[in-house]
Amino acid sequence: MDGSMVMFGHWLQNRPFALAIAGSDWAYPLVQATHFTGLSIWIGTIVAVDLSLLGVGKKSSASLQLSDALFIWNWIGFGIAVTGGFLLFSISAETYLTNIAFLTKVGLLIPLGLVLHVVIQRKAPTWEKSSETPSLAKAAGFTELLLWLCVATAAVLIPYVG
Amino acid sequence: MLLHICRWLQDNSLISVINGTAWTAAAAEIVHYFSMFVLVGSMVIVDLRVLGLVGRRQDATQLAARLFPWIWVSLALNFLSGFLMFAGSATAYYRNDIFYDKMGVVLLAIAANLVVQQKVRAWDRLPAMPAWAKFMAVLSIGLWVGAIIAGVEVPALTGVG
Repeated sequence: MDGSMVMFGHWLQNRPFALAIAGSDWAYPLVQATHFTGLSIWIGTIVAVDLSLLGVGKKSSASLQLSDALFIWNWIGFGIAVTGGFLLFSISAETYLTNIAFLTKVGLLIPLGLVLHVVIQRKAPTWEKSSETPSLAKAAGFTELLLWLCVATAAVLIPYVG
Repeated sequence: MLLHICRWLQDNSLISVINGTAWTAAAAEIVHYFSMFVLVGSMVIVDLRVLGLVGRRQDATQLAARLFPWIWVSLALNFLSGFLMFAGSATAYYRNDIFYDKMGVVLLAIAANLVVQQKVRAWDRLPAMPAWAKFMAVLSIGLWVGAIIAGVEVPALTGVG
């Protein structure tokens, strides 16, 4: 592992806020719950749009325009998830920075997911208006679902490989 | 009696193989987390719509009709994966007070889901969402966040899970 990254991890986990969270019985679970609540909003709003693009559960209610309607809450969820996630990371940053599952999650899968997500978000209003969803839209929606599932998989594997 | 069932579950050969094999144990966790995100996230969207904080131009009834099937499918997947995780250490959960709290909050949250699902069409026909509809929506969000907090408290405070 790159020495400067380890030094950064060491510095971060010795910040007073990180030490305070690590040293408290109740702070850690609350930060975890914050991360999961943000993720629920983030993933929930993404899955709602992607499953709609895939045509799952789309019967008479074809007039729903979900992507724009959920835009604000989608990014509010992301903000909460990242805040909680950063705090979780900061209390044992050195360990996370040497964990291959964590590095894959944050360095590869999340950036890929974000890029695809922004592309879908820009295109979805047009896709949602067309009477028949283009197959490109379906492929994008399906890929995005898979990508976030991979992010969750990498996250769950952190303690398994560490 | 209950403890007896827990012991039997935990000693069941299929349950011990699933929980003792890294990839199946991880798969149960992945399904449990991801279905929880979809379940809570979709329900929060419906609640926020009732509160008038999301997509006011979208019809609440249509939005609910689109999201509720996914909510119940996610709940089923969440229950199934959660049951497998529970079964692997059933006797430890049996003695775990916070686990009972979590189950209680989850049951209340599911009850709130059902009320919103039953009533949303009637609320939608009124000129404005009635106060008790908004109360139910806030309660529903609060219960699901409470369920998440109780969920992370189980391992944090008791070391089980």
